Amino acid sequence: MRVLVVEDEKKTASFICKALRDEGFAVDVCHNGDDALAAVRTTPFDVLVLDIMLPGRDGLSVLGQLRGRKNTTPVLLLSARGNVNERVEGLNAGADDYLPKPFELTELIARVRALTRRSGESKSTVLSLGDLTLDTVTHRAQRGSTEIELTAREYRLLEFLMRSAGRPCGRMMILEKVWDYHFDPGTNLVDVYVRRLREKIDANFEPKLLHTVRGSGYMLKGRP
Amino acid sequence: MTIRTRLVGWYAAILTLSLLLIGIGTYHEMREQAHNEKHGKPVDPPMEEAEELVFLVGLPSVILGLAGGWWLTRSALAPVAALTRSAQRITELNLTEPLPRTRNGDELDKLAEVLNDMNTRLNDSFMRIHEFTLRASHELKTPLTIMCGETETTLRDESLPPQERERLASQLDELRRLARIVDGLTLLAKADAGQVKLAFEPLRLDELVRDNYADAQILAEPKEIRVELAACEEISVRGDRHRLRQLLLNLADNAVKYNRVKGQVTINLRRLDGVAEFSISNTGEGISPEALPHVFDRFFRGDPAHSATEDGCGLGLSIARWIAIAHRGELILKSTPGRETLATLRLPVATG
Repeated sequence: MRVLVVEDEKKTASFICKALRDEGFAVDVCHNGDDALAAVRTTPFDVLVLDIMLPGRDGLSVLGQLRGRKNTTPVLLLSARGNVNERVEGLNAGADDYLPKPFELTELIARVRALTRRSGESKSTVLSLGDLTLDTVTHRAQRGSTEIELTAREYRLLEFLMRSAGRPCGRMMILEKVWDYHFDPGTNLVDVYVRRLREKIDANFEPKLLHTVRGSGYMLKGRP
Repeated sequence: MTIRTRLVGWYAAILTLSLLLIGIGTYHEMREQAHNEKHGKPVDPPMEEAEELVFLVGLPSVILGLAGGWWLTRSALAPVAALTRSAQRITELNLTEPLPRTRNGDELDKLAEVLNDMNTRLNDSFMRIHEFTLRASHELKTPLTIMCGETETTLRDESLPPQERERLASQLDELRRLARIVDGLTLLAKADAGQVKLAFEPLRLDELVRDNYADAQILAEPKEIRVELAACEEISVRGDRHRLRQLLLNLADNAVKYNRVKGQVTINLRRLDGVAEFSISNTGEGISPEALPHVFDRFFRGDPAHSATEDGCGLGLSIARWIAIAHRGELILKSTPGRETLATLRLPVATG
C-alpha cells in the first residue's frame, strides 16, 4: 500500500510519515501542490493525504485537477480551518474523507486504512469476530448461542467496530460514523456508550473482545 | 444654515408677529378712542384703557409668544430625540448601520456625521479584534497539530517506561483540551465576523429532540440521573441539522454535568404561539443570581471549582447561544439555586 502525503509543514509531514510507515505503508512526501500533481502522474498511489493550505496551488485545487484527470485515488483532506462548511466543500470537490487539524494519529491511520479498504470491503451480511456474530440485515447480535439485545445506536456502534476489527478506532471517527456528529462535543458520550456495549457483549463472556486503546480510542479484537 | 441662525430667525419672526399684533390692537383701540372723542361719546379713563390694552392686545401677544416658543423648542429638539432613539439601537452587531442624517448642514447633522464616523472606527476596531482572534486560532493550530502528533508518536513506542507514558498521556489530554478551546474560539470568531454559513433545511425538531433524549440518558448513566421526556410535540423548523444537534447536546451535557448524583433531568418540546419551545431542566446546585447574567460569556465559570473537575472548554454555552440566535431564536437560562436550573430554547416554527 502506497500513500502520498502532501503537507508543507515539515514537522507535521514527518510524524504523519513515521506513523504510516510504522503501520506498514510505503510513504512518499510532497511539500507543495505542483509536486504532488507531478508525483501522481508518474506513480500510482492507493491513498492521498492532502493538506488544504499549501503554498501556491492549494489542496482543493490539486483535488480538482486530479478529479479532472479522471484520477479516482481516494483522498483524505487535512485542514487547519476545520468547519462543517469546509468539510462539505471538500467532499463535494471529490474528497473521500476530511480530517480537521489538530487530529489524532489513530484517527488519521484509521481513516487511511478505511480508504484503502473501500473498494474491497466485505460484502458479507453477517460479520463475525470469534464467537460474536452480527447480522447486518436483521440487526441480530449473538455471542455463542446467546442472543444480545441492542438499541439502534448500539447496533451502529457494534457494526462500525466490527467492520474495523483489529484496528483502533478514534473517538472522533466513532462520533462521525455512529452519531453523524462532525464536531468534537467535548463529552464522554462515546466512552459511556462503549461501556454499555462492553457490558452486553463482554461482561459474561470470555475472551474479552472490546479493548480500550489508551489515549486514542477503542478496538474490537479477538484472540491473537 | 446653522441651528442658531435658524432659531434666531424663527424667534425674530415670532417677536415681529407679536409686535404686529400689539400694533394692530393698539391702533384699533386708539382709533376707537379718537372716534368716540370726535362724536362726543364718553371716553374711557386712562386706567380702563390700559387694562383693555393689556387684556385684549397684550395677552394674545403673550400667548402667541409662548406657543411660538414651545413650538420652537420642540422643533429644535426633535432631531436630538430622533438621534437619541437611533443611537440607542446601536450595538456591536449593527455598527455599520448609519444614523439617519438630515443633510441640511446644521450642527445636529454634523453631530450625526461625527457619530457615524465614530461607529465606523469602532466597527473597524471590533473587526480587528475578530480578525486577530481568527488569525491567532489559525496560527495556534499548526504548533498544536505538531505537539499532539509528536506526543502521540512517542506514546506509540512500546518500550516507553510506564511512568513516562503516564506523563505523556496526561500531557496529550491537556493538549487536546487546548485544541478544543482553540476550535471553539475559531468557531466563535468566525461567527462574529459572519463567516459561518449555516445549511438551513426543513427539519423535524421532535426527531432531533428524541435523539438528544437518547444521548442524555447515556450521558446520565454514570451519575444515575433519571432523564424524562415529558413532552415531545411534532414540530418542524428550518435549521442547520448539525448545529442544532450540537446545541441540544451541549444543553443535555450541561444538565448532566452540573446535576447532582441521582438527580433528575426533564426534557420538554412544545409548540406555543408559533414558537417551538424546547426546555431542559436539571436538579443541580444551580447558578447564583450574580452569576446568571454572565453564563453565556466566553470562558465564564459560575463556580471556580468546576473548572478543575469538569473539562469543558468554557465556550459551550456561548456557542449554544450563537446557534440559537443564528436560527432567529433565543436561549434563556433560569435558575433557583439549590433546586432547579432551566434552559429554554425558542425557535420560530417553519411555515408552509
